[in-house]
Amino acid sequence: MRLNEAAVFKWVVIVGIAAAVIIAVTLLTRPLVGSLLGLAMVIAGAVYAYRRARERWG
Amino acid sequence: MESASVAVGHAHADHHHGPPEANQSSRIDRQTLGILLFIVSEVMLFGAFFASYFFLRIVVDPPSWPPEPFVLPKAVAGMNTAILISSSFTIHYALESIRRGNRTGLKLGLVATWLLGATFLFIQINEYVHLGFSARDLSFGSIFYCLTGLHGAHVFVGLMLLSFATIRAFRGHFGPAEKDHLGVEVPGIYWHFVDVMWIIVFVTVYIL
Repeated sequence: MRLNEAAVFKWVVIVGIAAAVIIAVTLLTRPLVGSLLGLAMVIAGAVYAYRRARERWG
Repeated sequence: MESASVAVGHAHADHHHGPPEANQSSRIDRQTLGILLFIVSEVMLFGAFFASYFFLRIVVDPPSWPPEPFVLPKAVAGMNTAILISSSFTIHYALESIRRGNRTGLKLGLVATWLLGATFLFIQINEYVHLGFSARDLSFGSIFYCLTGLHGAHVFVGLMLLSFATIRAFRGHFGPAEKDHLGVEVPGIYWHFVDVMWIIVFVTVYIL
């Protein structure tokens, strides 16, 4: 994957969709549930980034 | 011997003018690598502010958040979020246009992005005026203004970068080749970063 504006834009869309899901879950349930979902997404994102980094440079 | 060295010197002069080319070991060009490293440092800066926010909210654990009688205008902030996300699409359109050699699309995309960014900043300032609390009102007021204000400052810097790019676009400075539109590509990456940070600030401060 090349690191350019198009690649960064893809991540804007991904973060935007993830935020929309968190907002919907929070408004439908409680802020705690939304927070836990957000935390789970951050952890999943970190694991994905770590694996991609290992594949690319490891 | 002397004539040989002069001949070599002439041959060298035919192929190269000025100082030698800088060595580039990275697959990313210098400007893009520079803005990416800058963004990494910015993420750490925002991280410090988010750490303060979560400390105040979770560790200090006040009875209610936001504390009574403060109310945050979620609808206005949500609309502002939509405006800023739209601006990421317009800057992407501007860059896709110049990649295809469409200069009109580049100008249109840049102007639209600038206007959307300025609208975001205007609504943010208007929100500050009508909020009813200041940065001196409890730790909540301080961290609210610090987080949103830090982001607002980044939007302002982004608008400056976009202004330069727009002026250059109207002067016909950019072209379809990758190295010929770095002046839009780099502000574009920065603008996407500002957008992503606002999504995180909005969800954290206004929604959760």
